[in-house]
Amino acid sequence: MIRIRGLRKVFPPDKVALDGVDLDIAPGQFVMVIGQSGAGKTTLLRCLNRLMEPTAGEILLNGAPVTGAPPEALRSVRRQMGMIFQQFNLVRRASVLENVLAGRLGHVPGLPSLLGRFPRRDRELALATLRVVGLEEFASRRADTLSGGEQQRVAIARALAQEPKVILADEPTASLDPKLTESIMGILRRINVERGLTLVVSQHMLETALIYGTRIVGLRQGRVIFDGPPQAITPKVVEAIYQGGVE
Amino acid sequence: MTRALGGAALGVAVLAIYAWFLVATEVSLSRLLRGLPWMADFLRRMVPPDLTVLGGAVGAALQTLQIAVVGTTVAALLALPLGFLSARNVAPAPIFYPARALLNFFRSIDTMVYALFFVAAVGLGPFPGVLAVVTYTTMTLAKLYSEAIEGIEPGPVEAITATGAGRLQVLRFGILPQVLPLFASYILYRLETNIRAATILGFVGAGGIGFYIQTYLRMIDYPAASAVLLVLVAMVMGVDFASSRLRARIV
Repeated sequence: MIRIRGLRKVFPPDKVALDGVDLDIAPGQFVMVIGQSGAGKTTLLRCLNRLMEPTAGEILLNGAPVTGAPPEALRSVRRQMGMIFQQFNLVRRASVLENVLAGRLGHVPGLPSLLGRFPRRDRELALATLRVVGLEEFASRRADTLSGGEQQRVAIARALAQEPKVILADEPTASLDPKLTESIMGILRRINVERGLTLVVSQHMLETALIYGTRIVGLRQGRVIFDGPPQAITPKVVEAIYQGGVE
Repeated sequence: MTRALGGAALGVAVLAIYAWFLVATEVSLSRLLRGLPWMADFLRRMVPPDLTVLGGAVGAALQTLQIAVVGTTVAALLALPLGFLSARNVAPAPIFYPARALLNFFRSIDTMVYALFFVAAVGLGPFPGVLAVVTYTTMTLAKLYSEAIEGIEPGPVEAITATGAGRLQVLRFGILPQVLPLFASYILYRLETNIRAATILGFVGAGGIGFYIQTYLRMIDYPAASAVLLVLVAMVMGVDFASSRLRARIV
């Protein structure tokens, strides 16, 4: 489904964030990317939908090139990959429903959407995804009146509204307490199991990664130094990934 | 030690320059004191105000309000594209730099100067006043808009981009909701200042209440002038009050 070859990202002048990453991600996998801060987790995720431009290497989504894709093709790639962020990144002054409808922007006709008009089917889909995260009664509330955990659930609904094949989540629980972490990760697992969506999630909490991931990718200094099921993680592997210090 | 000496020399130089400015502007306390009785006389002659001119004054005040409202709204729209083009995080550098330079150039000329220019170009009346307000306000609002755009949170913009939205959609759903309330507040604020600016447009023949103030002062009809001033103060305070209430609700 996702094929990554020789992915490199260098921040000028010479900070190497990704140093030749090769990965093949199969449909339905729940991939947890772990590593210390600065290991390249966020950079890897942001390169996948080219919110960040890779320096070198190749990314394919279902055989279609992501790297080097022209604007229209890139939009199509992004439409197929929902993204969830650490800071939720909702438009605060907009309503919850408007935020979720933004997930439909890649699908709906351009001009009416600019006037704030969405086809009925898309409105219904947006409401349906709000139901999936249990927030349909919040649809008309302003996004910034919701708690952090609720905002992240709205962000998940926005990603689901894209009807994506893949969901990228960049530290989705780093701003939340342990209880909310459980709730958010639980929703992601449900999406993975029930809808068969492929998930690529960066996670700085090792325990959380091991509970929810079906595949663990350990990064260190921009290189993949572990790739396997959670059961294969040994203290030695942990030591290697975190260089002795678990965060 | 040499640093302290340098500091002292700089201080002396600044004081010397300031003293020169005072002399050059003929600032004189004794002259002010000698003028006091004249001011008192001036004020005494202004009371009681001549209320028979109220009708004309209210009509002229209304025209001033109209000039300010029309000028500000047209400028608010014209400033939109300019504001986006001169925002560093939206416009590419080859557009951003010329746009900023243009704004700074035209912004350094005041409404009053534009009024003189437009009176010469299109003749007397409120229309050149509107044009003057539009020109200056477009530049100032564009500058304020661009600063608001530069101050937006990048996160939501990224999130909208990541959905596969096009450039215009990102603008509409990621950027506009963040900046529109600020824009509205700036427009109201400019409206308040434009009411004041428009009161003196009449001095150069560009319409509004300024014409009455100037005429009555020249005719030495102080009671009439004071009645016009009262109308002016009432209008400005009224607009300020309404506008600040509105602004408090928006942001």
